[in-house]
Amino acid sequence: MLEALNIFIQSAFIENMVLAYFLGMCSFLAVSKTVKTAFGLGLAVIFVLAMTTPINWAIKNFFLNEGALAWINPAWADVDLNFLGLIIYIAVIASFVQLVEMIVERFFPALYTSLGIFLPLITVNCSILGGTLFMITKEYNFWQSIPYGLGSGFGFFLAIVALAAIREKLRYSAVPAPLRGLGIAFIITGLMGIAFMSFMGIKIS
Amino acid sequence: MRKASFLRKQIDKVKPYFNSNPILHTVFDGLETFLFQPNETTTSKTHIKDGMDLKRTMVHVVIAMALCAAHGTMNIGHQHYASMGMFPGLFDGLLYKLTYGIIQFLPIFTVVHLVGLGIEFLFAASKGHAIEEGFLVSGFLIPLIMPPDIPLWMVAVATAFAVIIAKEAFGGTGMNILNVALTARVFVFFAYPTAISGDEVWIAQDYNIIHQIIGLPQVAFEHFGINKMPDGGWATMMVDGYTGATPLALAAKGGWPAVTEYYSLNDMIMGFIPGSVGEMNKLLIIAGAAFLVFTGIGSWRIMLSMLVGAIVMGILLNVIGGAMGLDQTAFVNVPWYYQLIMGSFFFAMAYMATDPVTAAQTESGKYIYGFLIGVVGMIVRVLNPAYPEGWMLAILLLNVFAPLIDHVIVNRNIKRRLARVG
Repeated sequence: MLEALNIFIQSAFIENMVLAYFLGMCSFLAVSKTVKTAFGLGLAVIFVLAMTTPINWAIKNFFLNEGALAWINPAWADVDLNFLGLIIYIAVIASFVQLVEMIVERFFPALYTSLGIFLPLITVNCSILGGTLFMITKEYNFWQSIPYGLGSGFGFFLAIVALAAIREKLRYSAVPAPLRGLGIAFIITGLMGIAFMSFMGIKIS
Repeated sequence: MRKASFLRKQIDKVKPYFNSNPILHTVFDGLETFLFQPNETTTSKTHIKDGMDLKRTMVHVVIAMALCAAHGTMNIGHQHYASMGMFPGLFDGLLYKLTYGIIQFLPIFTVVHLVGLGIEFLFAASKGHAIEEGFLVSGFLIPLIMPPDIPLWMVAVATAFAVIIAKEAFGGTGMNILNVALTARVFVFFAYPTAISGDEVWIAQDYNIIHQIIGLPQVAFEHFGINKMPDGGWATMMVDGYTGATPLALAAKGGWPAVTEYYSLNDMIMGFIPGSVGEMNKLLIIAGAAFLVFTGIGSWRIMLSMLVGAIVMGILLNVIGGAMGLDQTAFVNVPWYYQLIMGSFFFAMAYMATDPVTAAQTESGKYIYGFLIGVVGMIVRVLNPAYPEGWMLAILLLNVFAPLIDHVIVNRNIKRRLARVG
């Protein structure tokens, strides 16, 4: 339990997907104009990351790894399907995004229209594929991959909602004309990255 | 009509020369309004941003900091001479200490203002605004949080970065997201880490031509009983039993016993320890904080909740340290009440966290904002081995989240009111 909490805190704050690794920038910058849409997208990312990271773990360990197929047929013990990894992870992510899209369209039509193209584009949000790939390089087991996916999603959620709140506030600021919109969002992202460096270096084991 | 004063006449005499150039005019206008209340009406469109007189706010903050700055300046000299084994008593050679401190402090102060005000003037001129007073406080804060020996070009670069990126890019005074002074410091911290961390940087060791001209005593002067080094250079060795390490650096290595080996409780409270200029005398800082609360400029909500947050987290760390069976030499086991007097806690609480622009704007949001600064700052200070002190980064982090806190509070209030009325 304590280990799960540690992984959650580490992935949400210390190794924040957006502000430490700068992954998932496109939707981070594009959907952060209002807190409401950012909130919706953040929740969607939490859901997709929390589901796909453990599922991809299972797929990798029961189907893709060398000798993983032996539980189906002992004769396949030397089959190595790892080359299929990326494409299958993306397929899993895409199907979950499709699920989210259908749910959002059915129950939150207003949010669906304001998210627009960026909802299906979660599929290619690097932070989600990044979640799966980091989980593999860190050699987490199944129970560790669940808080990792949740924590990474929560980190993204926190960052995008904070950026959206700042950008809503900035509507009343006299930002110089060349910087308005995306320009100032880039600067804020950099400054947020500096602020998040407060956690970098904390070791929790 | 009252007879115009001498100063007024002189200003009027040179005024026409400045009106020829827009930049010169902005500079002149900014300085003139410091001396005299303007009585002109605008000829083109108005550019009033709000009705509050910023000069009053800013000047009050500067007054509240002045005593801390004076004490810190003296302490630069005290640390310098004490580290060389001269004037160990607090009041020995007070004049020398003060002069040395001023020679170290004044150039940093001047550079910050030249660079910062220069950039402000340029931006104000290009926008056709009057100069905004916001830099008065930032310009006073930045020298107070820099090491006394820092190269002046670093101060210049950091100030320029903070004013341009953290402030003018957002539209100038009152619009910034991050605290300008802290941005300048965090820039130095990450861009030139060796200039602002380690055991040596917090004690001034400079002795250059200026010190010589003014005639400050130096270790190598023979009549102080210490000779030049054999190779002809100046002695820069610290005397035995003296450390340049700050209490926090010592605590990180050996807990509270390591701190008391070098510094007494009195030294830490009265501010005769190595460290940033402004954070020294805790009593003067608390007096300044009281002045800010009394004049209604600093928010007591932020100060109180930050104190509570730091105490809660400090007690929690003590409990964790006890539960893990760590002994007194562990940083987590430094008693929470001693955590408060080490480092820059009170300075950050009084002057940094209460920055009215970057703090949370809603009254109940201020409690959350302050409390989280206290908690996060203590976590960063004790648990993060990468940084010696936590308040700078904790305040910047909560600066980032302050608009979100406000958003949540405002929406909660709207919902409540709807439920009550609608």
